[in-house]
Amino acid sequence: MLRADGTSFQNCDGVTRRNFLQVGAPVLGLSLAGLLRSETLAAAPTASHSRKSIIVFWTHGGMSQQDTYDMKPEAPAEYRGMYTPIETTVPGIIVGERFPQQAKIMHHLSQVRSVHHDNGIHAPSAHWMQTGHFGPTLARIGQQQPSFGSVISRSLGPQQPQMPAYVAVPKAEAFGYQRAHYLGKAYNPFDVGADPNGEDFKVPNLSLPGDLKLSSINTRRRLLAQFDTIRRDIDRSGVMDGLDTFKAQALEMVAGDHVREAFDISKEDPKLRDRYGRHQYGQSALLARRLVEAGTRCVTVNTGYWDHHDNIESGLEEHLPPLDRAIGALVEDLVERDMLDDVLIYCAGEFGRTPLMNGHAGRDHWSNCFTVMLAGGGIQGGRVVGASEKWGGGVKERLTSPLDVLATIYQTLGIPLELHYEDSTGRPVSIIDSGRPIRELL
Amino acid sequence: MIRHCRITLIVCAAMSVGHTFACAEESSRIRFTTDVVSVLTKLGCNSGGCHGKATGQNGFKLSLLGFEPEFDYQAIVKESRGRRILPAAPERSLVLVKATNQKPHGGGQRTSVGSEEYEILRRWIADGVVAPAADDPVVERITMSPREQVMENRASEALLVTAHFSDGTSRDVTRQAVYESNEPEIASVESNGLVRTHDRTGLFSVMVRYGGSIATFHAAVPLQATGQPQSEIEARLKHLEQNLTSPVEQSLIRQWKRLGITPSEPADDATFLRRVSVDICGTLPTRKEVEDYVADTDMEKRNRLIDRLLDRPEYASNFCLKWADILRNRGSGYATSKQRPGTALFSGWIRDSLAANKPYDQFVAEIITASGDQNENPPAIWYRQVRTQADYVESVAQAFLGVRIQCAQCHHHPFDRWSQADYYGLAAVFSRVGRKGGFADAEVPTNEVIYLKDKGDVLHPRSGRLMRPKALGGPEFPLTGYDDPRRSLARWMVAPENPFFARTMVNRTWAHFHGRGIIHPIDDARDSNPPTNPELLDALAAEFVTSGYDIKHLIRVICNSYSYGLKATPNDLNGDDSQTFARFYPRRLSAEVLLDGISQVLEVPTQFAGGPGSLPPGTRAIDLPDENVPVSFLDVFGRPARTSSCECERVDAPSLAQALTLINSAEIQRKLTAETGYAAQLAANERTHVENSTDIFLRLLGREPDRMELQAATDFLKSEEDRGEAYRSLLWSLLATNEFMFNH
Repeated sequence: MLRADGTSFQNCDGVTRRNFLQVGAPVLGLSLAGLLRSETLAAAPTASHSRKSIIVFWTHGGMSQQDTYDMKPEAPAEYRGMYTPIETTVPGIIVGERFPQQAKIMHHLSQVRSVHHDNGIHAPSAHWMQTGHFGPTLARIGQQQPSFGSVISRSLGPQQPQMPAYVAVPKAEAFGYQRAHYLGKAYNPFDVGADPNGEDFKVPNLSLPGDLKLSSINTRRRLLAQFDTIRRDIDRSGVMDGLDTFKAQALEMVAGDHVREAFDISKEDPKLRDRYGRHQYGQSALLARRLVEAGTRCVTVNTGYWDHHDNIESGLEEHLPPLDRAIGALVEDLVERDMLDDVLIYCAGEFGRTPLMNGHAGRDHWSNCFTVMLAGGGIQGGRVVGASEKWGGGVKERLTSPLDVLATIYQTLGIPLELHYEDSTGRPVSIIDSGRPIRELL
Repeated sequence: MIRHCRITLIVCAAMSVGHTFACAEESSRIRFTTDVVSVLTKLGCNSGGCHGKATGQNGFKLSLLGFEPEFDYQAIVKESRGRRILPAAPERSLVLVKATNQKPHGGGQRTSVGSEEYEILRRWIADGVVAPAADDPVVERITMSPREQVMENRASEALLVTAHFSDGTSRDVTRQAVYESNEPEIASVESNGLVRTHDRTGLFSVMVRYGGSIATFHAAVPLQATGQPQSEIEARLKHLEQNLTSPVEQSLIRQWKRLGITPSEPADDATFLRRVSVDICGTLPTRKEVEDYVADTDMEKRNRLIDRLLDRPEYASNFCLKWADILRNRGSGYATSKQRPGTALFSGWIRDSLAANKPYDQFVAEIITASGDQNENPPAIWYRQVRTQADYVESVAQAFLGVRIQCAQCHHHPFDRWSQADYYGLAAVFSRVGRKGGFADAEVPTNEVIYLKDKGDVLHPRSGRLMRPKALGGPEFPLTGYDDPRRSLARWMVAPENPFFARTMVNRTWAHFHGRGIIHPIDDARDSNPPTNPELLDALAAEFVTSGYDIKHLIRVICNSYSYGLKATPNDLNGDDSQTFARFYPRRLSAEVLLDGISQVLEVPTQFAGGPGSLPPGTRAIDLPDENVPVSFLDVFGRPARTSSCECERVDAPSLAQALTLINSAEIQRKLTAETGYAAQLAANERTHVENSTDIFLRLLGREPDRMELQAATDFLKSEEDRGEAYRSLLWSLLATNEFMFNH
């Protein structure tokens, strides 16, 4: 067994001890010696020098592929939907008319139009797309495997030690399946907790409660250093050192500049903010860019609820234009900053929607064949991988599983596909059970 | 007869270079099961991360660790149109070309052309890919030499492994076996069985696997004392040996002597009081308790303190929390679910059982044999979360027998003796557990009736054979219309001679107080994960059984032990120790104890969410019935979701969110600023900074401040204009110290 995490897979407890080595050791360069001295941390985890990050646009509820990336203009009206296709910068690729911004940068975007899994229920499907495993059949049942964001967070850590590795804007969604489960709470997403488009946007977790003043935090930091003098060599488990490291990091986040500035979207040029669009998705995308620039590894932008069973047109009119603007502006911005090759962009939900409109002018759940979009991160742009049948429906070419998509993401970010972690019973579980990277994109 | 085929093979391999291999000795024919599969295991091909995982790797799947040779033969020879094997040109076979990375291989280069492993595979192909036959010899057991050793630092020891086959032959398989050290920092092991110790001292084991069998090498690396006169160390241990005569303490001291370890000094009274109050009652001592205890001159005061704590209701609450985790008293579901009355009932039953000191054998038997309406028989609520075959088997094995049997659900346990027959035999004990009624308003139905069905079969998943109910490594139980095999299981479990039951409980309890099990992790007992001090485990188990499974008695024995009373501070002669309890191993206060501790010292209770089954004001976190009371502080600090019987689900791993919660959560700020709270009292009182600072230290840390600390605190308080903010800051900074957050 390739033990890429460098641990004995017999030791259930070891799982938890490793948690903070991953994040804790590089943080502010503190206490590394102490951590390595510890008996439970015999082996170092995957050291990553990957420079890549990922921004995810999650379309919770399921976005209609046939009104967006996989248009069927030749199909009868009840399949075709209400939108007209438009040309893009890539000859032969058309998209729905509500995607004009993405049409202008289509040479950077790739679509996988043949994603398929076998489930039409939100919860298990969201679990499948988020974790690579079929999941609970009811939303009230908790997550059973770690999300890909948590795997990324744990295996790569942040690029800049002060930053949280995995951030959710405005907060974790998808029935909670964006969390770390047995990887450990340290790898849950950091919830921004507010709409970045809000006036006077502030991150609740970073803003001081009540009338607590910044000067008090600095006083407390000084006092803590003065009184926190218990001998550190009494603890060989690494927990004490790890906690020291995180306390320093948290104080730095709350009272220091780097993190607060990264979250301070008001520092952006208002013209650029306009380009992203003055709405939640646009400003979330802009915040995501600021965060990966400052050293966050994975940002998930959650874009509301797309479960358009009734009157899909009004739903899409609300969701598509801001999503399009956000993605379009983000790609352009990353190109201008020469960052596109280092930042992977991924847009997906738990499934797509039925090719045939239903009697309520809506579309229902459809997992037989739907589209996800990938861009940047060094993958090929302007590609279409796989195809759906004539009027939508089934996969016509190149069946692609959720795991193939995750394998592509992991490989692009530099995470070894053989990596595995122990679940809460001590059993080693691979981050990818099966699934092969989509070679057409690499 | 031991035939050293290793030598034969190397000679044969040398001969084979450049021409077709032909080894005269017929008996050295390569056998698929014992030779080829062993190579696949040795090279890691069939491991769980590669081709051994359930879905295989890149379309090539092998049985995990080679437990199904027939399957592997099909996979290699027949599948994929036989392209993996090329008998006409063996060295061009895909299996060899891939394993040597001559063609790109996701697993990289596993071996090189001409290596011993390569030659075994190549010869097997050249010989015509002989299939495994029913009468092929199989490995019956492996033995190793030496089995135990005392080693010095930076020394090496060559292990010799012999496989004994069903046809009566045996041979040296040292090079074919797979090795793993359980303490790589103390000693590592090379693929040829050479063990190398490093700079650390302590105990370690090396697990060896070959042909589905395992054996374990146990070794000790004693401390080579330098500097301190040997006679002094010996005198100290001798003194201890003469004064501490209980079997538990004698076994500790004997091990320290063997390993050349000197225990730390005994902890002072204030430290011990805080430690034992937290461990028994989950509660910090008050200032008055500290002062009274320190002033008490009775020689027996430690003993009396332990008794007093065991009589307090907080003892039952604190251990109820632990058992409610292990027994998975989980309440998750929709906000409107009716799970809470049930979880409260089950928690209450656990708490009452502990408070009444119900014997442990009775406690467990009442749970696993529970029947009837869950509203009337609270232990039947265990069956709410434990409801599938896997739940029954794994919960019983892990919670009460200290065995992780999960692996044997799908395949033979790779590091233990358990087979699928063991797994499904235990499952059959529960095959007739029936359920009636209940309504599905949460993850699991509420208010079921548990009863014994007339029928219920468990079949072996591979052979399809009907499984008879069977104890783990124990007898089969009768299964007639009149028998509830759960009762037979309970009788078998609680019998004094049961090898698992008492040991699991004493180990669990020892770990609760010492921060580490004698077997560690506590629920993973197996030959390849031996106790660090078998005598100690035996002594405790004997004491527990003799006492009639008296839990409070067990806790008394452990809390009165010499090791539990030691300082955490290491000395020159035990700094490395993390296995023999030669000093106290500190750990962070658990989520609930930490939150309650902050509430207690600041005199501001936590307000838990209301709603159906709302909790009365003043409820403490250790009294919460289930995990479904939303308290972010508790989740952040590692409260378990109760989805597993493993205590490892409760984690103490530090995280950024914990630090942020301490620093700027609204809850901590609320407790610091509450009008009636301790901080407000300090701001308003007329006492001097010296008096207040002393009170703060006694209250938060259970000790007086030293001179420097008192000076620093009063200097700071004097320098601040806002007296209220000054006290809040001082309190916060002490709450955030590791001294406060840890039991030490």
